[in-house]
Amino acid sequence: MTIDTEPLKSVSDIERTTLMTFLPGRIATMLGGRRWRRLAPVAVLVVLCILITIANPNFIELRNLVRLANSAAVPLTLAMGLTFIILMGSIDLSVEGTLSVAAMVVVLLAANDSNGNDYGWWAVLAAIASGTIMGLISGLVQTMLRIPSFMATLGMWFVGLGLSVYMLGGSAIRLNEASIRDLALHRFLGLPLAVWVAVGAFVLAAIIQYHTRLGRHILAIGGDEDVTKLSGVNVTRVRIAAFALAGFFFGIAGVLAAAQLGQSHAVIGDGRLFAAVTAVVVGGTALTGGEGGVVNTLIGVLIVTVLANGMILLGISPYIQQTVQGLMIIAAVALSLDRVRLKIVK
Amino acid sequence: MKDSNGLVSGRVSRRTVMLGAAAGAATLAMPNILRAADKPTLVTSIRSLSNPYHAVWKSGAEAYAKWAGLEHVTLVSEGNSEKGIADIKAMLAKTNGNMVLNSDPNDTPDARPIVEACAKAGAYVVTQWNKPADLHPKDFNPNYVSHIEFDGIASGKTIAEILFKTIGGKGGIVALGGLISTTAAIERKKGLDAALAANPDIKLLDFQVANWKSTEAFDLMGNLLTRFGDDIKGIWAANDDMGSGALEALRAENLAGKVPIVGVDGIKTAVDAVRTGEFACTITSDPFWQGGMGLAIGYNAKIGKFDPAKEPPEHREFYGKAVLISHDNVEEYYKTNVESKPEMDWNDLWGRVTGAIRA
Repeated sequence: MTIDTEPLKSVSDIERTTLMTFLPGRIATMLGGRRWRRLAPVAVLVVLCILITIANPNFIELRNLVRLANSAAVPLTLAMGLTFIILMGSIDLSVEGTLSVAAMVVVLLAANDSNGNDYGWWAVLAAIASGTIMGLISGLVQTMLRIPSFMATLGMWFVGLGLSVYMLGGSAIRLNEASIRDLALHRFLGLPLAVWVAVGAFVLAAIIQYHTRLGRHILAIGGDEDVTKLSGVNVTRVRIAAFALAGFFFGIAGVLAAAQLGQSHAVIGDGRLFAAVTAVVVGGTALTGGEGGVVNTLIGVLIVTVLANGMILLGISPYIQQTVQGLMIIAAVALSLDRVRLKIVK
Repeated sequence: MKDSNGLVSGRVSRRTVMLGAAAGAATLAMPNILRAADKPTLVTSIRSLSNPYHAVWKSGAEAYAKWAGLEHVTLVSEGNSEKGIADIKAMLAKTNGNMVLNSDPNDTPDARPIVEACAKAGAYVVTQWNKPADLHPKDFNPNYVSHIEFDGIASGKTIAEILFKTIGGKGGIVALGGLISTTAAIERKKGLDAALAANPDIKLLDFQVANWKSTEAFDLMGNLLTRFGDDIKGIWAANDDMGSGALEALRAENLAGKVPIVGVDGIKTAVDAVRTGEFACTITSDPFWQGGMGLAIGYNAKIGKFDPAKEPPEHREFYGKAVLISHDNVEEYYKTNVESKPEMDWNDLWGRVTGAIRA
């Protein structure tokens, strides 16, 4: 994936592109080409931090950095799972459904104000297991019934959401298990435990991507599925495993979300899908698959979180925050992907 | 009915039979409304049973039906307007119009077909929350008895004033608003603005939108703490769910209970938080009252206790009085509303009228 093919292709490709796509690409190439591009998300993050700090020095206060880490914890864990799916060139829309199922399971099985259950940390294991199973089903539906991941996971999204609406009876149920709440309230080395869990998820994802066969096969499928298949890789098995892995991360995120809010309701996942996809793409992982990875996603999550934090610090009106967010997404993606090399944009 | 008239004793003369038959026929020929012998059915039409608000609504309706000794049926639209209207029409057919309906229409336009169907069948109807602006009870005398809403401006203002009092009348606050385009969000913010105008020593540090959700309020609150830090003396939330998200953000920073929060809705989480002092207050439209009193108003009109056409406008389209739950009454509220069913004076039909709905 790291072979630099640009010098061979550049001439013919440039001829095909219009001026609009040609110019920014050319400027980037002049500044150092692909190497610069790979660093573009990091550069965006650094510039963003500097600009916000100039406007409001509170930004680099230790307290704020801790808060940033805390609000990045759930999106980071989610995005870790989603990265593998997007690397394959697929999409997982079941993020919100799976997350709400996991949050529902943990709250209903641990001490709560609705039923008499009190299984302590078994509830956490059950929640992560239920997330993994949801992912596994997505993978099976996709590969066995030959349904595109977009539709299969869309279906699982609603299945999960319906399940948690039914189980929670439409209301918010409080989590009273103190040791699980400690994930959000207890601090180790100044950071809430949830942040350490998210860091753990990142390390695990990095190991899977860079040091296991599964990680390489996922990347290979995203690059070219047919070639991968011809090379003897069991593509079906890798796909199922990847979706189960994503469900595993969504399950962890569900537990963290329930611990942070101290309660669970069916809409606990609302808006998380968009945030996770944005983070993955802004980090430089291509929606077409085969390019990017969990390190990119880490940067992407930080960009999105810093941006949200920064807009509040700068006092930007809530009425135009979404507009700013949209512009930032377009800018970040325009900078980090080499548009000149794209023959088709769809 | 024919049987009871004529065939009481063993000896039946032809005249008795004839009289009985005539009386029976006359009863059937009378308009349904006048058949006082048959007790009307009470019908509640709500959106769903899976949210706590409507669950309490239903228990209020059942409490009233038990008190009045009447049959009660609950129809659930599950958020589907067509189903809501079709179910009501089916009930009208089943009861021959001999029913009293208390409806929370699923959507604003639904109120018109519901009211028209009831008026046509001779049933009595009370609507709550949703109706088109040009649909008025006075145009459907006597069947469309009343329409009840709750004043968002008053709610937003009341909780803001309590928040200001709790923080000692001066200092900075932050406000969390609902989904920008919704009526409730706009009205409650107006109430906050009015309270701010009357209290120049209170400074609104920032108004942000968390779209009614605790998750968004949680993240937002963390960021607001960075920006304003200890300058935040209080938090105004347009609903309890956002308030509880903000509360958890405070808890993560060991600030829970130190920065008072106010909200609207009276959800259980918020009532619990008022008890522990983490919320200064919350305010509720009291669904138990809505469920029971809506039926009571319709039923009393039907049995002729009052004539809707002769009632003043503020009894036909009015704002109900919201119930404030604050430190002073939370224990009592908890005992009577959360741990047990509340006691209501169902004869006090107009006790919670606070005024006619603004045009």
